[in-house]
Amino acid sequence: MNATPMKVALFQCRWCLYSPEDQAWVDHNLPENIHLVKVPCTGRIDPLFILNAVQGGADGVMINGCLPEKCHFKEGNLAARRQLAEFGSFLDYIGYEQARVRFVWLDLQDRGRIQRELAAFERTLEQLGPAQALATRAPAATGGTHD
Amino acid sequence: MTELETKIRAEAERLLSEHLVDVVVAFRKEDAPLHPQPAFFTQVDELQDLVYNGLCANNLANYLTRHPQETRIGMVVRGCENRSVNALVVEKQHTRENLVLIGIPCEGILDWRHIVALTGENVLSVEENGESVCVHTRENTFAFSRVELLHPSCQRCLHPNPISADVLLGELKPEGDPELMRLRIEALENLTLEERNAWFRHEAERCIRCYACREACPMCYCTECFVDHTEPRWSESGVTPAGMQAWHIVRAFHQTGRCTSCGACERACPMDIQMTYLTDKLNLDMIDAYQFEVGMDTTTQPPFATLTLDDKNRFITRGK
Repeated sequence: MNATPMKVALFQCRWCLYSPEDQAWVDHNLPENIHLVKVPCTGRIDPLFILNAVQGGADGVMINGCLPEKCHFKEGNLAARRQLAEFGSFLDYIGYEQARVRFVWLDLQDRGRIQRELAAFERTLEQLGPAQALATRAPAATGGTHD
Repeated sequence: MTELETKIRAEAERLLSEHLVDVVVAFRKEDAPLHPQPAFFTQVDELQDLVYNGLCANNLANYLTRHPQETRIGMVVRGCENRSVNALVVEKQHTRENLVLIGIPCEGILDWRHIVALTGENVLSVEENGESVCVHTRENTFAFSRVELLHPSCQRCLHPNPISADVLLGELKPEGDPELMRLRIEALENLTLEERNAWFRHEAERCIRCYACREACPMCYCTECFVDHTEPRWSESGVTPAGMQAWHIVRAFHQTGRCTSCGACERACPMDIQMTYLTDKLNLDMIDAYQFEVGMDTTTQPPFATLTLDDKNRFITRGK
């Protein structure tokens, strides 16, 4: 195990976790290195959100959403897929590995999958090491906007 | 006055005198010989100031969104401007029926910074004769070939000819080679992650946040830009590494499937920052993934504005 666990920003669509146990775990029992951002739909996630997480020092960004036909708002996740997938590859172009941005599209029978996915993602990030290249935001202690 | 200018003036005069348009957007002669300025002609007798040469560096489509939709606009367009106009029509920023496009096959824009670097500050006039360019300074006269003075974006230009102009003046030019742009982006993509990041930081962190690139860009027409929001503050507003990088990343990303690679942003930049390597990469991705090229017609929506269930998607992984 690494001394400092990898920092993960978890963007979660509030409709994608069908099991209440999973949702309760995400809401109350997330490890401290995972920062949860709950959104009404993955379509709400602006690339700026991801950029802010990356600049704020996130070693990885995970985006949870519903499968294509299952979006609560019909097609919010379709917009998210096109845009955020391209944004991930664009970040790779300027120095933030594509593997650090991961999408997990959850389905009704995927009970308990979120924990496995997060664990697997953390293992990937540990192999990649911490991401320094774009973590440029000044910490709150020095007058910056993130902590 | 060149033959082409005569033709443009005659056409502009016809449009204005027959009341086919309310305003003609073109370039005007200025005292600074390297900087013809965009101008709005509403009277026939103003047209004596109209010029057109290789130093006309702005993208005139930029001024489309500054007029109400009902204004009938006559506009001098080159290949890139024509595509920008098309992209703006797709985004419903103007109605195509209210536009008269005076198309000019483009020989490429001369980089005035490059001219000044080669000849010194005291340029009196620039003469273009086809493939050769003659620069007269206070002390001396220099002869160059046109190719060596071209702006980098114009060297890589794909479509020098206007594709949907109402009037076409001058002779059509051969289409550009799409490999030139691709080779440049692939060369960058083949660098290591650290080298790519170093390149990006080297470019982005010279930024002084003047937003000249935004003002010069025809596709940047939001009334309130994300960097101007104060509540919530989306990105750091100062000249800090985080703020400068966020500006360059998000400005480019907002151009995905909308940028025509005209290079107006780079020509406007007072710090000589390269930006097209970002937007070109996104453009290439859109071509490869969705076979979408910006501004080739006035109906196809850009990829991010269209949603389909059957997208090829490398991200969907079902439960293990």
